[in-house]
Amino acid sequence: MRQTRYDAIDRRSALQGALAAGVALPFLGGRAGAQSADSIRIWTFMSAEGQSPREKVFKALIDDFQAKSKVKVVVESQPFQELETKFVAAVAQKRAPDLVWLRDTFLSLVVDRGGLADLNTELSPEFRQQALPDMFNVFTQKSVFDGKRVSLPIWPSPAQIIFYRKDALREIGLEAPPLGWTAFVDVAGKLTKGTRIGLGLPTSDNSVSALVNVMSGFGPSIFDPATGRIDLTGAEAVEAAKTVRDLVARGAVSKTLLNAMGDDIQDQFAAGRFAMAQAFAPRFQQYQKIAAGYDPKELAVSAWPSFGSRPPAVLLGPYWTVGLASTSQNKAAAVAFLESMFSPAASMKWAKEASLIPDRRSVMSDPWFNTSDAAVTAAFFKLLSGDGAFVFPQRVPDITKLFNVLNTSLQEIIGTDEKVEPILARAKSTLGW
Amino acid sequence: MTVVPIKLAGASARSIEQAARASRRVGTALVGPAVAVIVAVHIVPAFIGFYSSLRRIFFFADEGFVGLSNFSALFSDPITWQAIGRSLAFTFGALALAVPLALLAALAVRELGPRGRLLLTILLVPWAMSPIVVALLWKWILLPSPGGLFASILAVFGIPPVNLLSDPAWAMPTVIAVAVWRTFAFAAIILSAGLGQIPKDLYRAASVDGLSVVERFTKITLPLLAPSILIVLSMLTISYFNEVQVIIGLTSGGPIRSTTTLGYQLYITGFVELDQGRGNAIAVVMFLINLLLIVGYIQLLGGRKGGEA
Repeated sequence: MRQTRYDAIDRRSALQGALAAGVALPFLGGRAGAQSADSIRIWTFMSAEGQSPREKVFKALIDDFQAKSKVKVVVESQPFQELETKFVAAVAQKRAPDLVWLRDTFLSLVVDRGGLADLNTELSPEFRQQALPDMFNVFTQKSVFDGKRVSLPIWPSPAQIIFYRKDALREIGLEAPPLGWTAFVDVAGKLTKGTRIGLGLPTSDNSVSALVNVMSGFGPSIFDPATGRIDLTGAEAVEAAKTVRDLVARGAVSKTLLNAMGDDIQDQFAAGRFAMAQAFAPRFQQYQKIAAGYDPKELAVSAWPSFGSRPPAVLLGPYWTVGLASTSQNKAAAVAFLESMFSPAASMKWAKEASLIPDRRSVMSDPWFNTSDAAVTAAFFKLLSGDGAFVFPQRVPDITKLFNVLNTSLQEIIGTDEKVEPILARAKSTLGW
Repeated sequence: MTVVPIKLAGASARSIEQAARASRRVGTALVGPAVAVIVAVHIVPAFIGFYSSLRRIFFFADEGFVGLSNFSALFSDPITWQAIGRSLAFTFGALALAVPLALLAALAVRELGPRGRLLLTILLVPWAMSPIVVALLWKWILLPSPGGLFASILAVFGIPPVNLLSDPAWAMPTVIAVAVWRTFAFAAIILSAGLGQIPKDLYRAASVDGLSVVERFTKITLPLLAPSILIVLSMLTISYFNEVQVIIGLTSGGPIRSTTTLGYQLYITGFVELDQGRGNAIAVVMFLINLLLIVGYIQLLGGRKGGEA
């Protein structure tokens, strides 16, 4: 049947309608980006409940700042893995928050896109003179790009570290894991018993790589100082890969855990599946809280073993830093709040109530850090202050791709019998290095 | 006297034209917003996606026009070809399982009457769930340690835990099974509706003619169900070929890339590695493959009866 003009919407009519709706749409958008002059906006990450000790301290600091300054602090929670990308997009759209949490590994990418203000010109002289030298130099220096300080590191942390069960170590007559790889592999093998596995390694993650942590036993030399790359077919990478193979051969690492993410390792550690595991350091309290397969008091922390006579390794990162948006309309208020989070009193609060390592090193002289309550924080502080502590270079090429590629290599090292050299060569080729 | 009717006819024609114009305006007003939304959320992004695939865009920094180099880089990478192969294996593996299951479920629903509808409602629950929730649920079910449901069932029979998701040989079949579990009941609804359209008289006539159950199925049910099967195949093909949430939740593309399909590769390239230019190139390739598959189905099933479907 031929279609008449009465029962059909012709092309012209449809276009007219679309145009009419298009004209109307901008008026429906509201004023989402509008910001009051006496408020600041912050982008950070929060848990679903927003009731963790860290979040409670954060809220208390905000309340305190608001009461003193009369500036309203608006926290807009974002998924932690999207903070950097959303921030860059928001800067382009002139909707960026005043302060933003960023991972150190993404700093160079954000800096290159021009979204961050130079804190050297914004921080108060008192803060620059007193606070900055009191913070961990290894962290603060990484935030300085061509003389421009783009962020302040917060909650210094060894990031990926080894958690272990003292009771499991005691079974074989040890108090702590060995800090050299040869002895560590042997001990990890002995810790595998029944359904318990010696060492749990996350093998599927987009932001951490156990292979890099094993390599960190060679110290900062794993990164080329000129390019920031790892020599993936070099002797150190091959040695690290063969060490992982040894762990598998001794039964210390299971071939049945080829797809484990950090959360999987955490859950299974809680169930008593591992004697030791690679873990995210700030989650120590959570590991204690969910412990079901062992006594939470038996949980302890260790540096990574090293190769040869090098000091025990602590590869610092990825960790959190806080930046000030270059587009911020309320820089003075935003910087005042930023500084308030790094005061000695705030550092004590983060440490005492949220078990976070204090940003201000001087507060470690407080007698509280000699109590048993502070034992873990003191242990982390010692790791950060050790000779083996180092960070990822400021610019690691293909940082968004690196961990994913290396985790595929780790899966191949653990799950296949192929020689490690071609596996590493493939990773190098995939990265285009 | 003959002038009056002509005048009346002219006025009548004008009023009809005015009414039609008013009707068109109402229609336009009603359809316009929908068209605008479709243009805004489908057409414009599709063009921007294609445009972006011709540019080098990394972490929101547009470094300029690069022609087809994103595509040439994509096709010169063996990982892409492996991902295409896995996408096709996933799609056709899931279809091979889902369509017969859906057909069986639809036949059961028709046979069981009201109880069948209850059965279908129960089967539909997974489809109503978010794919990522389904993935997390199955991850727990398949956990190869104490607490895992599957491991506990195996333990009753004295079988040790099996880690299906960590075994490169078993990961893909497992992901396919979970995707089918989530979607086959939706296909069953469409097929059940199709079965309802087949005249009962045909079956009665076939019985009189002495056709067996199998013959009735192959000579009446299947041919008359072809349009519904075409819809099911088209919808499931698009759904399975683009599936990514179940894979993210269950295996993250592993182990050893054994479940890295083109959809997952797109997610990793565009959203994790933040190579948005190449990510859009993958999206364009996926669109073309989807298009080819659907055109193929229409040729195979729809064209067979002169475009009946």
